Amino acid sequence: MPQLQHEARALLEQGKVDYILGFEPGTLKFSTTPLITKNKEDCARLVVNPFIANNLSVYLPKLKGRLGIVVKGCDSRSVVSLIQDNKVARDRVVIIGVPCAGIIDLDKIEQLVSRERDEIDDIVRQGDRVAITLGNGKKEFPLVSVLADNCLACETPIPKECDILLDPTDTLVTDPSAGQQRIQEVESKSVEERWAFWEKQFERCIRCYACRSVCPVCFCERCFAEETEPQWVSPAPHWQDNMSFQIIRSLHVAGRCTDCGNCERACPVNIPLRSLSKKMVDLVDELFDYKAGTDKSALPLMASYEADEAEGVFR
Amino acid sequence: MSEQTEFEPKLVGFLCRWCSYAGADLAGTSRKKYPANIRIVKIPCSGRIDPLFVLKALRLGFDGVLVSGCHPGDCHYITGNYRARRRLALTKKFLEYMGVDPRRIQASWVSASEAGKFTDVVTAVTNEVREAGPNRLFTEEKEKRATATA
Ligand code: SF4
Ligand code: SF4
Ligand code: FES
Repeated sequence: MPQLQHEARALLEQGKVDYILGFEPGTLKFSTTPLITKNKEDCARLVVNPFIANNLSVYLPKLKGRLGIVVKGCDSRSVVSLIQDNKVARDRVVIIGVPCAGIIDLDKIEQLVSRERDEIDDIVRQGDRVAITLGNGKKEFPLVSVLADNCLACETPIPKECDILLDPTDTLVTDPSAGQQRIQEVESKSVEERWAFWEKQFERCIRCYACRSVCPVCFCERCFAEETEPQWVSPAPHWQDNMSFQIIRSLHVAGRCTDCGNCERACPVNIPLRSLSKKMVDLVDELFDYKAGTDKSALPLMASYEADEAEGVFR
Repeated sequence: MSEQTEFEPKLVGFLCRWCSYAGADLAGTSRKKYPANIRIVKIPCSGRIDPLFVLKALRLGFDGVLVSGCHPGDCHYITGNYRARRRLALTKKFLEYMGVDPRRIQASWVSASEAGKFTDVVTAVTNEVREAGPNRLFTEEKEKRATATA
């Protein structure tokens, strides 16, 4: 952490960047919140811990000047994806990579100890275990039981495209099958059952667009969801429109989404959005052998093609 | 016993004006027969297809969607049909995961001279969508129950 504070401060002092985008402790217990600053003194508040969940690349297209940004593996790929889409120039960003050891899912912790996060005194990561302090008792769990699903499935925890790589603190423990479990649950249903399942989920959607707001690759200045001539989806939160919105959003982020998991984290009504975005990531890989944000000189997925692919779709 | 009338699907066909649309025209002028279930929309190139069109058609109650364009290598805008293929392949697979019968989303390459292929495609697609049954994806639960008991 002092290493990050030091590097960030140096970048501002030497005039290499106009802004630093990082994380500072949040107001809610254990959480972190984005810190975007021009002031070098603020760098003392920067943290790296297992709760830096947000994908800060969402701010890149919105800020002017040169930007020093703290990224995890998935976030670094979002930055690359934005470069591919000409949303930010490579020489406008100084990428500070965190060799990521996984994000702890506080909902999973709350479930494990049957307590609200406010009643938990401490959460300490120790290698492949996590120690949770409740009053004078201490409980230990395997780390894989508390890591976020997208981290369990992560293949790129260490940012590849970066200018400064911080020293690792821990190493990630993955469990790909656990990370895939909820998607398999949907796949095990019949086609009719799947639709019924999603219909139930999208009855809860309140169309707050939090999923879209936290998404770095939902960068459109005008979203199709707000178009009125023609009106593709009604702004009223009927499940039909909610679901249509999310289906099209999923297709728009195909080849750009890096499974950072933030849409699902942002959803106030707990719609399992990662079961959509991760499925899309898998389909893109399976059909077109394409992994988002792994090559800054590659064309975006939908701007390119191969002469022989997806055979059998057209008769 | 009430008489069962066979379900007749309603299809929308998005046809590229340079090839499949002309192919459909040729089928007509050659007096070839094909199912009257399809409603045709002329598009400038299969690359004009947006997944929104497919979803909106299903939302409007069409039982199936057909997109048809020039054969690979023959697109008048060189790459439109390849791009359409990427988009449609993904749309079809993703919608299947969501719970849409893949038979409802169909695509073909039909050139301006292939009147025979056009009638074959429309016949085959109509049959497959008929097997898939009526599209009740976006109908309300109570309407679904009402039509099931009617
Ligand atoms: S859902 Fe689509 S149109 Fe809307 S902001 Fe995201 S990418 Fe843009
Ligand atoms: S965050 Fe959840 S409730 Fe809000 S628009 Fe997205 S899916 Fe709907
Ligand atoms: S012009 Fe016919 S598919 Fe492009």
